[in-house]
Amino acid sequence: MTDSRVFLTGLWLIVTLELRQRVRGASWYVLLGVFMLLVGVVTFLLWLATSAWLSGGGGVFGAIIFFVLLLGTLVSPALSGNAINGDRDAGTLATTQVTLISTGQLVLGKFLAAWITALAFLAAALPFLIFAVVLGEVTLATIAVSVLVLAAELGVIAAVGVGLSGILTRPLFSIVLTYLVVAALSLGTLIAFALLGTATQQQATSVNYQVVSSTFDEATGKQSDIVCSTAETTTFNVPRFDYYWWILAGNPYVVVADAAPGSFNDAGNPTDLFGQIAVAVRSAQAPPELYTEFNGCDVAAQSSRNDNGTFPDQAFDRGPTAQQTYDDAVPSWFIGLAMHLLLGAGALAWAWRRTRTPATHLPTGSRIA
Amino acid sequence: MSVATVSGGVGVTPSGIAVTGVSRSFGSVLAVVNATLVVPAGSVTALIGPNGAGKTTLLLMLATLLTPSTGSIRINGHDPVAEPGRVRAVTGWMPDALGSWPSLSARAALQTTGRMYRMTREQAAMRADELIALTDLGDFADRPSRVLSRGQKQRLSLARALVHSPGVLLLDEPASGLDPAARASLRQLLRRLAGDGTAILVSSHVLAELDEMADAAVYLAAGRTASPEQVAAASASARSWRIRSLDEAALERALATPGVVGALVTVRGVDQLGTLVQVENEASAAALLHNLVLSGVPICDFGPAVGNLEHTFQDLTRSTDAEVSE
Repeated sequence: MTDSRVFLTGLWLIVTLELRQRVRGASWYVLLGVFMLLVGVVTFLLWLATSAWLSGGGGVFGAIIFFVLLLGTLVSPALSGNAINGDRDAGTLATTQVTLISTGQLVLGKFLAAWITALAFLAAALPFLIFAVVLGEVTLATIAVSVLVLAAELGVIAAVGVGLSGILTRPLFSIVLTYLVVAALSLGTLIAFALLGTATQQQATSVNYQVVSSTFDEATGKQSDIVCSTAETTTFNVPRFDYYWWILAGNPYVVVADAAPGSFNDAGNPTDLFGQIAVAVRSAQAPPELYTEFNGCDVAAQSSRNDNGTFPDQAFDRGPTAQQTYDDAVPSWFIGLAMHLLLGAGALAWAWRRTRTPATHLPTGSRIA
Repeated sequence: MSVATVSGGVGVTPSGIAVTGVSRSFGSVLAVVNATLVVPAGSVTALIGPNGAGKTTLLLMLATLLTPSTGSIRINGHDPVAEPGRVRAVTGWMPDALGSWPSLSARAALQTTGRMYRMTREQAAMRADELIALTDLGDFADRPSRVLSRGQKQRLSLARALVHSPGVLLLDEPASGLDPAARASLRQLLRRLAGDGTAILVSSHVLAELDEMADAAVYLAAGRTASPEQVAAASASARSWRIRSLDEAALERALATPGVVGALVTVRGVDQLGTLVQVENEASAAALLHNLVLSGVPICDFGPAVGNLEHTFQDLTRSTDAEVSE
């Protein structure tokens, strides 16, 4: 057998051993059944709430994907967060390490098993995703990208859980810390983004010139002899969210939502839940305008009244549409997913270093077997 | 079975365990200090020492799980730090902590372990069946191992250490939790494996048992191996012998008679099992027995009150305690 075949055989042995150890038995199937029931109830309620039989499955699909991500991130730490230190406590880690199984096979195998376990939840939610697709208005690209990115995010949580279980000695501690990492990514990013953005206020200046008096010519519909006011300067504070948009990009829900290809209607507005979130997140990338000037006199001098009594030239600039904002910004899911993959890979690499044998250094208070 | 030394000439395959000047510390705690021992292939060596003496740490270093801080280890000529894979392929290790995959049956656990040693599925299944028969686990082989008793888990642990037919066997407290019948069969099994050329190092504090199966003993106290001179001195030191007679009164009279008890013998008292005498060496014990029989005392039991290993162990432990308290 070649080296890579030996490696893969051993790796798969660890994966199957892990799966047989952790996820066998009736309780596991009960858990999956409860999960399917929950997703079913949520799907039905969303179907009612969004009038999906008229508007299509865009909202239902997005919500189910988020629900799977929510439950996946709630269950995965408990299943992966004691993969290595739990085995050490049970006395089965060292007996594996004295065999020809390498530390790399051990750590990677445990990670793959934890990931497969989390993917089982995605598989269980598949019937409902198909139902949402049947309702229509969800493109094939959205389905493919959302499911793939969701799978990658579940893998990141599994990697963090297995990694922390190799880094920390006590199983309880590593499970709790994995939950804290999940919480930091899901909620902490939102809080940090909002607080940092509003705390970093900057002064913006707005200068106005207004018409004090003028003569209006009824025949041409134009103003003449315009007397202009002096500059009226107002200052106010604006939050600088554009410094911190990358924090928001680190949110797994944002990654999943932003990754799906945006779909917009003719007015340039997003048509699904993911699109709305993506536009909101990407609009944070644009810096606020710190100096604005409005010269009412210029406007008054140039504009003329229409026959129907309106001033078409005086129409306010509506700014870019949602679609323009979306298209002009950096795709933040790419940044977020890259950060997550680095986090997961880093956790696994650190766990590998800590689990390697023969061990030179042992953390205080820990035993090797 | 020829025994080659590690420093042996070219062309000789070194076999067995050779430990030279090995130390290991955990932070400021010295667990093993300058340990030296040799276990030739085809022999059983007992590793003896009080709790916390460093026996398990020494075995972990031999089993490629810990690096020694200093010193060198050779298992069949390979360094466990530089070539852990080669050492693992020939070493079986039975830990003191009983760990088994709780939801796997004993059979599945043995098959999985075999696969971890790169056996094919069929080889692993065959080897598992052999080991189940060997360790007498047949009745429990297909139950999840979480329901096994301590003794059954102990046998499973031994079977797992033997999966790949290792040439070097490291056993950490293998007899604890075993019933007398299982202990006897463990003893026979280890003697047979040694007869087949396996180098076996057994740690235990059930010394009477090691007495019957070990060819040699290594004493470890406070992380240090006792030198051969210390061991020789300790095993030769004065020890208690127990004498039982069919006529206790005759024995008492004979022991009180001048000339029967030699200069190197002192009577220490009588307990429910017989009379204890302190005897300086085996020659004076033989002389005492001779005199008692000549005096017409009906002797039915005459022997050391404690086993060889236990006597040496206690003597060495006493002397290290004395060193520490000085």
